[in-house]
Amino acid sequence: MKKHFLLTAFIVLGLISCTNEGTAANTVASMKTPQMENYDKAFKSLGDPQNRPTEEERKRNTTELSGRRKALLVPASKELILSTGVTESELMRRTGGDMSQIIVWATQIYMQKSDEIRKNIKTEN
Amino acid sequence: MKRILTILGIAAISFTYAQGGTLIINNYTPYEYRGDIIANNSLGCYPIVTNTDKIIVPADSHTGNGQQLQYDNYRDQYTSSLYPNPNWTVSTSVSTTNVRPWNHASLMPGGIISNNTKWSATKFDMFDTGTGSYVTGFNANLSISTCNSSAPTPFYNTPSGSNSAEMFVIGSITYIQLY
Repeated sequence: MKKHFLLTAFIVLGLISCTNEGTAANTVASMKTPQMENYDKAFKSLGDPQNRPTEEERKRNTTELSGRRKALLVPASKELILSTGVTESELMRRTGGDMSQIIVWATQIYMQKSDEIRKNIKTEN
Repeated sequence: MKRILTILGIAAISFTYAQGGTLIINNYTPYEYRGDIIANNSLGCYPIVTNTDKIIVPADSHTGNGQQLQYDNYRDQYTSSLYPNPNWTVSTSVSTTNVRPWNHASLMPGGIISNNTKWSATKFDMFDTGTGSYVTGFNANLSISTCNSSAPTPFYNTPSGSNSAEMFVIGSITYIQLY
């Protein structure tokens, strides 16, 4: 009986330590929302061969990202903004549908969420 | 009505020029970015602001893992960025160059240098910490202004085609991305 009790105690201890291990391994990357993941993917995808700037886009005399390439970032940016509870009509009202404003707004939300996650990790550990 | 429009116009112009804006470097490559970041005035180029010591952004450091280089302005980067830059080299003319600490009055948000410069270029080499040497063909000068080159050169493709780099602006944010 005593042996069983000790064995169970050890197993429980082992399980607890494994759970702790899991919490410690929590990183900003693993705690991101799916909308944040998609925002990341969109930005990284600008480097995919088909999304790189065309000859014409490289010769333009403007510093702004081209409309074609901004459009690659807009769906994920919208999704991220809407995930905070902002409605579609509010989004249109605040940005007037301007792609840059939508992307910059989403970027601010993203940074804020990353900060929150980082703070949560700090307090948990 | 006309006066209001004029005031709004002036406000809009000063906003577009208030602050160099945020700079974000996303390094998606397995190599280390070692380089300079440059800001200047779009009219006549001066003042020019650049980091005094090399900026290093480790491999795989981007917004996706929270390791991106992010400078909101010349001053606050020192306390808020993962890669604080202690000194800025400021040229106000061909013959006048000074090294200014991050908390120098002219570099504060609203300071004279801050108000008159924008991120415009980067010169960099990619370094492979595994082999301890620079990556052949993966170095470039990117520019989104005509101050640093006769025409803007916002994009670079390595000869092998396996890596690329670019600089662009979205609204108030300037990006340097390495793929």
